[in-house]
Amino acid sequence: MTSAEATAHYFKKAARIMDVGERIETLLAAPLREVKVQVSIELDNGEIRTFNGYRVQHDNARGPMKGGLRYHPLVDADETLSLASLMTWKTAVVNLPYGGAKGGICVDPTGLSSKELERLTRKFVDQIQDIIGPTRDIPAPDVNTNPQVMAWIMDQYSKYHGHSPAVVTGKPIDLYGSRGREAATGRGLLYIAREIARDVGLPVKGTRFAIQGFGNVGSHAARLIHEDGGIIVAVNDVNGGVKNPKGLDVPALFDHARKTGSVKGFNGGSPCGTEELLTCDCDVLIPAAMGGVLTKSVAAEVRAKIVLEGANAPCTPEADEVFEKRGVLVVPDILANAGGVTVSYFEWVQNLQHVTWDEDRVTTELEKLMREAYERVANISRTRKLPLRTSAYVLAIGRVGKATVLRGI
Amino acid sequence: MCKGLTTDEAKQLASIAVEASAKRGEKLFDEGAPGDSIIVVLEGKVDIVRSGQSLAQLGEGSVFGEMSLLGEGGKRTATATVADDVKMLKIDAKKFQGLLAKNDLAALKVVTNLAQVMSKRLLAMNDKLIESTKGKKDGLGEFQKILNDWSF
Repeated sequence: MTSAEATAHYFKKAARIMDVGERIETLLAAPLREVKVQVSIELDNGEIRTFNGYRVQHDNARGPMKGGLRYHPLVDADETLSLASLMTWKTAVVNLPYGGAKGGICVDPTGLSSKELERLTRKFVDQIQDIIGPTRDIPAPDVNTNPQVMAWIMDQYSKYHGHSPAVVTGKPIDLYGSRGREAATGRGLLYIAREIARDVGLPVKGTRFAIQGFGNVGSHAARLIHEDGGIIVAVNDVNGGVKNPKGLDVPALFDHARKTGSVKGFNGGSPCGTEELLTCDCDVLIPAAMGGVLTKSVAAEVRAKIVLEGANAPCTPEADEVFEKRGVLVVPDILANAGGVTVSYFEWVQNLQHVTWDEDRVTTELEKLMREAYERVANISRTRKLPLRTSAYVLAIGRVGKATVLRGI
Repeated sequence: MCKGLTTDEAKQLASIAVEASAKRGEKLFDEGAPGDSIIVVLEGKVDIVRSGQSLAQLGEGSVFGEMSLLGEGGKRTATATVADDVKMLKIDAKKFQGLLAKNDLAALKVVTNLAQVMSKRLLAMNDKLIESTKGKKDGLGEFQKILNDWSF
């Protein structure tokens, strides 16, 4: 099952438990709009190249649609649709006034110069500027897109519609970006870990965490959990990993990663492969890299009691079942990693109000929203005796459903 | 109904059948009346109505009244009225059961054919049932009730 199929699977599971009926199910699953455009640019060497660009807008019952824009050779219409629907459910779980969208360009950006990337981005905006906008659809960074790409989007969109910083989030701090945006997903994970701690009596302080992935999500999660007294027993990235059952020296690990570009070879522990990390002796496992790493067979070997999904869809549905049978608590992606989109929302709010929040305000508001979302999901899980993932989808379907009913079809 | 019968078998069956005709508007039987025959429509049309609701309009080649023969109690389960002047073949239920009791091949073939007709009707019924239960949850009002039940 691909991660795209997994989202549809979890949605259906929750919709059937709620017994919403086939036609309402179709109404909620079907996208509002799917756009495919041809983006042609001239490369630096004068050659002309054409790429497929996509923007899928899934649902806008709860507000303007929100979702990332990725540049990757595997971007296609099906996957984009699935990720767009995931954003509908995610924004609903955290109760942001948004719907869901996703987009991207089917391109390998490592083969393009910065100038070519800029031309590609601007050309793409030329073709979708009439369907995005601060009150329509607000893109954000995703795989292989960054604050610079967002700055180009803002600039190009503003040429058509006048100064519009709120058309896109994840912008550079110096150009209407929000403080705390970069660490937001990692920080959200910490807040969820604290809530779980309260529920299951496993305080972050002294608890052993293993983190797969040391990118934007994993690295900040590691730093913040360490600052909260948690013990990081293993981390890795694409190049390799390192473990230490007594706990890694996180500040020294960051120094090493800054110098070498990887956590591999850090001398404060022993080398550690990905599967070894996923099944190491720890209390909480945070998969924060790729989707689909926790398969059925790996899930059977996982020793953690709690899995916090930092990445999107790191557990396959089969693995999810194994965890459920084994009594391993899985905090689903649409709750656990919603910190990113939440701070994107704060950025949008600041842009619309022409104000700048300090980092304290951002973290305080983030903690409030993450805590509320967790409490709602945990409450459904307790009262209905459902796993957290199904409960999160139930909450999301409920919120989207209520907005749909109130607005009428 | 007579699919697969040899000429001899058809003659055998014809010996217990009576040809009859009826004019438009004439009632062939009422719902609840004792059932004593199976009817094969040779020409014309017959309306089948149960509790005021129209179930079907049957034309040439259709068979009805089979429930009186095979079902328990032998009562008509619907009213049959002629919609268009009909010519029909009436097969006496008791005589037919007599043939069955003797393991008559013609009668057995007819029963098999009837079973096929009934199973097709049951299939159509199942589809209708599914369609009608679906319909109940189709509206936004029903959806709202579900959402209220879940109280988020």
